Amino acid sequence: MIKAEHLIYRYEPKDAPVLEGVSLEIPEGQYVAVIGPNGCGKTTLVKHFNALLVPQQGEVLVDGLDTKDPGAHREIRRRVGMVFQNPDNQIVGMSVEEDVAFGPGNLGLAPAEIRGRVGVALETVGMLRFAKRAPHSLSGGEKRLVAIAGVLAMRPAYVVLDEPTSYLDPAGRERVLNVLWELRQEGISVIHVTHSMDEIVDADRVVVMSGGKIIRDGAPREVFREADVLRAVGLSTPQVTELMGRLRAQGCGVRPDVLSVEEAFREITALLGSGTGGGR
Amino acid sequence: MKTLHLGQFIPGDSPVHRLDPRVKILTVLLLSIVILNAGAVESLVVTAFLLAAVALSGLSVDRIAAALRPLAWFFAILFCLHLFFTEGRPIFSSLPTVTYEGLGLGAAVTWQFVALVVSAAVLTMTTAPSELVGGFERLLRPFNRLGVPSHDIAIMVSVALRFVPTLLEEVERMKEAQAARGADFAGGGLIRRLRKMATLVIPLILCTFRRADELALAMEGRGYHRGPRTYLRELKFTRADYAALLAVTAFLAGVEALRFLPL
Ligand SMILES: Nc1ncnc2c1ncn2[C@@H]1O[C@H](COP(=O)(O)OP(=O)(O)OP(=O)(O)O)[C@@H](O)[C@H]1O
Ligand SMILES: [Mg+2]
Repeated sequence: MIKAEHLIYRYEPKDAPVLEGVSLEIPEGQYVAVIGPNGCGKTTLVKHFNALLVPQQGEVLVDGLDTKDPGAHREIRRRVGMVFQNPDNQIVGMSVEEDVAFGPGNLGLAPAEIRGRVGVALETVGMLRFAKRAPHSLSGGEKRLVAIAGVLAMRPAYVVLDEPTSYLDPAGRERVLNVLWELRQEGISVIHVTHSMDEIVDADRVVVMSGGKIIRDGAPREVFREADVLRAVGLSTPQVTELMGRLRAQGCGVRPDVLSVEEAFREITALLGSGTGGGR
Repeated sequence: MKTLHLGQFIPGDSPVHRLDPRVKILTVLLLSIVILNAGAVESLVVTAFLLAAVALSGLSVDRIAAALRPLAWFFAILFCLHLFFTEGRPIFSSLPTVTYEGLGLGAAVTWQFVALVVSAAVLTMTTAPSELVGGFERLLRPFNRLGVPSHDIAIMVSVALRFVPTLLEEVERMKEAQAARGADFAGGGLIRRLRKMATLVIPLILCTFRRADELALAMEGRGYHRGPRTYLRELKFTRADYAALLAVTAFLAGVEALRFLPL
């Protein structure tokens, strides 16, 4: 479990804190989406999860290990993998396989073990055939997948991804999301920071941040039901949820917490089938 | 994608490609000593050795020539300087004087540089950059105890090599961005072109620093720490590597010994 308690952090001592007392518990295996407007502190928060930032007040525990203890950093970073927004600045190897081998090499594993892990990690993200390629010759989406593989080769219990689908085309996005879905099936915790509401309707849990605080924390259905709360901090709801909201505003009797096209379809056909738009 | 640059690795499966990078690095080091000490007879033997190495490595003469071509002016100037400015018996007394000694010295010095460049080119063209870095790292490892951080040096070099193409792409992008705003990199005199290049250098430096910052964070996040680590490929000498190293060392020692024979 990753546990943050009353976390306060400021980059400049005289400025207002960027995180103003965040408390959060993430059990192993959970898929958590973190959303919030630009500059609300999402990146700052997740950097605390693998001790890249250390709380100025409050504490962060990873499976009981305190991130304030420098002696625990290696173990914490093995357990919590972090994929940054720009894959170009996190690939260090001269070839794809060497890059994926970087983390295991830091752990001091034997070459045979490293080879095995590199194979499995590249297989998981579907990049095995690119093993020998030079990183700069890959597309943006492929670089993202390599960055994810590099983290997976450490066999982490938690994987944190900071906007892993930004700048990707729909196909690239789909590939990344499928990989995240697979990690979840394997029981790895995924902490997914995003601006895309449509990506997170399947998450176990959505954490909504604003101004350095967590303002909502719950299942997607609960969170998106309160469209006005989201709108107040500059966020939207998934498009189908938005559509249902508008229909309700017109007086149609549809559910307010529709998340998928499938559900929306059922609601609308039921509505049409009942003959009138007059509500139920 | 980009044009081949000097001494770039050319993948292949020749016996030279397959040698352990350490054997190749040590050979080039030993060879350099021999080349710098070589007299007339030794230089013939070394030339034969280099030709044999090129043939064995399956590199075409064109590739080797391509590695030498950018340095052609340098070789020419080197040769002429020795030719014209060496005291001795004049071949013909024009002004400047050309001497027999000058001709001999010019040829010898130029040959030395050509031979050094060719041997380095055979090394880098038959060894993948990562193997090269790995080979140097492994050779430096015994000096860890003397405070040589071989692992850290290896990471530094490989990260730098990894970012060369990325930074080149960045320069291209900046050029395009500035061209889109009306800058013209092609035309103008030398001074104007240099000035325009300067407008690229500053953003490039800033951008590189930002990258380095993020990269350091990402490396730390992946458990990087100073000191010993392990690698995907741990180099191992095969019997062929031992044989090659032994043969090359014996051969080059023999060539060195030639100097002391009364030939
Ligand atoms: N290195 C830094 N130094 C000073 N201030 C910073 C630094 N990094 C972030 N900040 C500030 O902290 C605040 C929160 O930044 P953070 O990157 O955590 O936001 P975010 O929620 O990830 O935003 P985005 O959605 O744009 O990625 C912002 O106001 C930002 O300007
Ligand atoms: Mg961010």
